[in-house]
Amino acid sequence: MDTHVNQDFPIDWEEDHYVSRREFFKFMTLASGGLAVGSVAMAAWSKLPRNERTFEPSSIAMRTDLQPGKALAFSYPRPKDLCILVQKPDGSYVAYSRRCTHLSCPVDYQPDKDRLFCPCHNGAFSIEDGHVLQGPPPHPLPQIMLEIRGDEIWAVGVKAGEASA
Amino acid sequence: MKDPRAMRRRQKSPVFVALLLFNLVLVLIQLWLFVSVLEDILASHFAMAIPAAVTSAVILTVNIWMLRGIDRMDANG
Repeated sequence: MDTHVNQDFPIDWEEDHYVSRREFFKFMTLASGGLAVGSVAMAAWSKLPRNERTFEPSSIAMRTDLQPGKALAFSYPRPKDLCILVQKPDGSYVAYSRRCTHLSCPVDYQPDKDRLFCPCHNGAFSIEDGHVLQGPPPHPLPQIMLEIRGDEIWAVGVKAGEASA
Repeated sequence: MKDPRAMRRRQKSPVFVALLLFNLVLVLIQLWLFVSVLEDILASHFAMAIPAAVTSAVILTVNIWMLRGIDRMDANG
């Protein structure tokens, strides 16, 4: 009887378990490889220059339409994409998406504090680069890339800001 | 009389289990890093992506090194 069993099942019980665990170890190492490849792919993807997107240029205002410390609303690139153009006190121009990154309320320019302010939940963004100064917004405001062509101000693209840590 | 090969297996078993547990812990750390970085990237935070990738690659190297060690252990009987 014993001889029959040994012929039918020639692998020792201990050895059988050992082999199973070794196969499991190999599987876990394979999983480890998959996770490492995924992590490296995410790191490479995070370094891609994907935050600037160009659209068809559009004339948004004349230079004479604004004075330092004043703002003007416009739409870019689609009619429903609300934006705000600001002439800073030093005379330079900046433009941002007008939708707050919290709950999409329209932001307004506050010349006395030189910032963009969302009245819904007291969020505020820097006029310099759109980063979050206060409140619940999780991301900076996307910046509209501008070009001055003669007396006209043109919007040429959108630059998504990277979230601050 | 007991099979001497099976005896050796029994002696190697605790070492193997320790390595297997260590491997499991390392893979869990890798999984945690992967999910954390994925969440960060979806929230537009990219600062942790490269350190996590380097750590994950180091863990993979350790796991492969342990697997080769087990293969060597088997080859030596």
